[in-house]
Amino acid sequence: MRKMTKYLLLFLFAMLVTFVLAACSDNGNDSKADTDEGTSENGETASEEKVKLTIGSWRTEDVAKYEKVIALFNETNPDIQVEFNPTKNTEYNTVLNTSLQAGEGPDIFHLRPYAAGLKLAEAGFVEPISDINGLDQYSEDYLAASKGTDGEQYGVPLNISSTQFFYNKKIFEDQGLEVPTTWDEFIEVNEKLLDAGITPIAMGTKEGWLLSLTHGIVGAGVLDGNTFADKLVTGDKDFTDPAFVESIEAMNDLKKYFPANSEGLGMDDIRTLFAMEQAAMFPLGSWEIPVVNELNADLDYDFFPMPSKAGNQTVTTWVDGSFAINAKSKNKEAAKTFLEFLTTKEFGELFVDEFKMISAIPGITSDDKLLSELSKAVESNSTPYYWVINFVSGDPTTKTVLETELQGMYLGEVTPAEVAQKLQENAETSFEPFK
Amino acid sequence: MTTVQTALKKKGRKNGKRWTIHLFPIPALIIYSVFVLYPILAALTYSFYSFKGFSRESFVGFDNFVTLFTTEPYGSMFTNAFKHNLLYFGLQMIVMNGLAFILAFVIYKKVRGAEFFKIAFFLPRLLSVIVVGFLWKLILNPNFGTLNMLLGKLGLEELQRAWLGDPNTALISIILVNCWFGLGFGVLIFLAGFQSIPGELIEAAKLDGAKGMTMIRKIYLPLMIPSIMIMTVLTFIQSFEAFELVYAMQGSMGEPYYSTDTLAVFFYRLAFGSSTSGSSDAIGLGSALAAVLFFFILICTMIFLKFTNKKEVEM
Repeated sequence: MRKMTKYLLLFLFAMLVTFVLAACSDNGNDSKADTDEGTSENGETASEEKVKLTIGSWRTEDVAKYEKVIALFNETNPDIQVEFNPTKNTEYNTVLNTSLQAGEGPDIFHLRPYAAGLKLAEAGFVEPISDINGLDQYSEDYLAASKGTDGEQYGVPLNISSTQFFYNKKIFEDQGLEVPTTWDEFIEVNEKLLDAGITPIAMGTKEGWLLSLTHGIVGAGVLDGNTFADKLVTGDKDFTDPAFVESIEAMNDLKKYFPANSEGLGMDDIRTLFAMEQAAMFPLGSWEIPVVNELNADLDYDFFPMPSKAGNQTVTTWVDGSFAINAKSKNKEAAKTFLEFLTTKEFGELFVDEFKMISAIPGITSDDKLLSELSKAVESNSTPYYWVINFVSGDPTTKTVLETELQGMYLGEVTPAEVAQKLQENAETSFEPFK
Repeated sequence: MTTVQTALKKKGRKNGKRWTIHLFPIPALIIYSVFVLYPILAALTYSFYSFKGFSRESFVGFDNFVTLFTTEPYGSMFTNAFKHNLLYFGLQMIVMNGLAFILAFVIYKKVRGAEFFKIAFFLPRLLSVIVVGFLWKLILNPNFGTLNMLLGKLGLEELQRAWLGDPNTALISIILVNCWFGLGFGVLIFLAGFQSIPGELIEAAKLDGAKGMTMIRKIYLPLMIPSIMIMTVLTFIQSFEAFELVYAMQGSMGEPYYSTDTLAVFFYRLAFGSSTSGSSDAIGLGSALAAVLFFFILICTMIFLKFTNKKEVEM
């Protein structure tokens, strides 16, 4: 044992020595990645017969679906060969950043929405595409997901995620309930369900991200959709505003409509509760539709947009991804042709049918009734999901602070006013209009 | 044997080449340096630099360490997580090692089916930690789980709760699961300790009239000090590196409301960002935390070992 101590000390000493050496020798070679800027521009007139485009994406699960997209594209553009090369979601950012910094990377790549993707555009890695056809059909909110501060458009918005309440039609009918169209009716529905011994809202507070998501829905009800959101993102209003505090209080008040032990329930639990008809309503995203269908194909359910205190109804939305062109691509013209194809109705219809997601292209209908209705609701009255769009900077991010503090609130550790206060403190360090 | 040795010695003296023996560890040493020493040193180096994403920016001295301890929310997260690690260690020492010691003693005393129990206690250890976390998450599930169902059947409804969702029980639940998981290993170590006590010694003590508690206090306990120390050191290291089970059961945010946060989970969140937040700018801070953790464990372990040596000398 004594010997062991001696060896340990020796080991420690050896490490310290090597450490000092390593620290001394490791300076110098830091920033040489971007020395050969723009040297690869000259090979543009290479053989013209068949152009080959590569697409980078984080959707490894969609390879087969993108093959269908490419087949449709080739019907009108047989000369352009397209290859879809996705990377694992969690590694995509690193892989893309590294290859872009080395002046390489795919011709077309899946751009993360909002700040994360725009960082690449600001660094000059993304080709501006304001001149391509078909962009004018998109709403300003969706274009904003890939619009630089310089006013240039950098990406074609692909799909929209939306959050809203799903409800069990059978339970509503059995209880003689109507879809609520005002905030008061919404509370009334909850009360009646509670009286009937049915869990009104399938919701759990164990996983933080469910809380920011629910605030996106409920908050839009309390704060009347864009009325508050517009002023918040410009900095005219902030989180200490009484109206915002009220939205947090409303979240707190909803707890009595959650299932028993909601503090211990996560995503899988609440989805099961709703799919197995043990709860009447389910506040979640459009992407849950296929999963719920898989759990219980016979479930008769629909959605309703969040009714607001001012009597409006809104669905909370954000752009989930856009497609952009690599500024160093050798086939920019062909890439633009492909991006223009992504703005067509034909593509939009294929996308909704195959991917079961809401297309950013307006006016797309689908055989899936629920998805069609949801697409319509998204077009007519939507509120931007500002937690994802505007508040994902800071360390921890403002969105993360919302999640943990709401969790604390549901556990009785902090009050709604304190939640708002903590959000404000965090946002003041990271959100530009608050600084 | 002796002839071989003398032959070797003669040859060695003749050729003066005994030093060549020292060349043989070199391949192993190289592998060890590349895969163990270098990463540790690299992490230490990183702790003195600022980072932007994965690219290293500039040398900032001890700034990362200062930020880690003084800037909010890092400062309070660190102390919060540190306290949880202490609780992890304390509870495991009492529950896991205490129970393992008693069980090992019972098995050592040759109860019926000792072999069976030895294997039964060790069985959980064969499962992957992720599987263990998943199984217990199912058992502890508030609305579908067997534990609450069992409590209900026994008429103990007031004890039913969201075990992993309530900050008062979440961490303790995880630690107890870890105790269940690690119990068999402790039993094996302690059993080996008991079995290595010389039979003559026990016989002599018995002849002198020692029995019951005297036997345990004066004979078994002192002779078990080495095994107890080994288990203490191992439990200590494991407690302060606690990560997998917390991550498997509660995710990287130490949910709910940081009540199950440990230093390693905090480190993971710092260095790689949480799965929900998407920020990962703090490799420097993460490395600083890793360095603090490493030196803390190293120093404490050395103190433990020093203590053991003294004990052994006394005997």
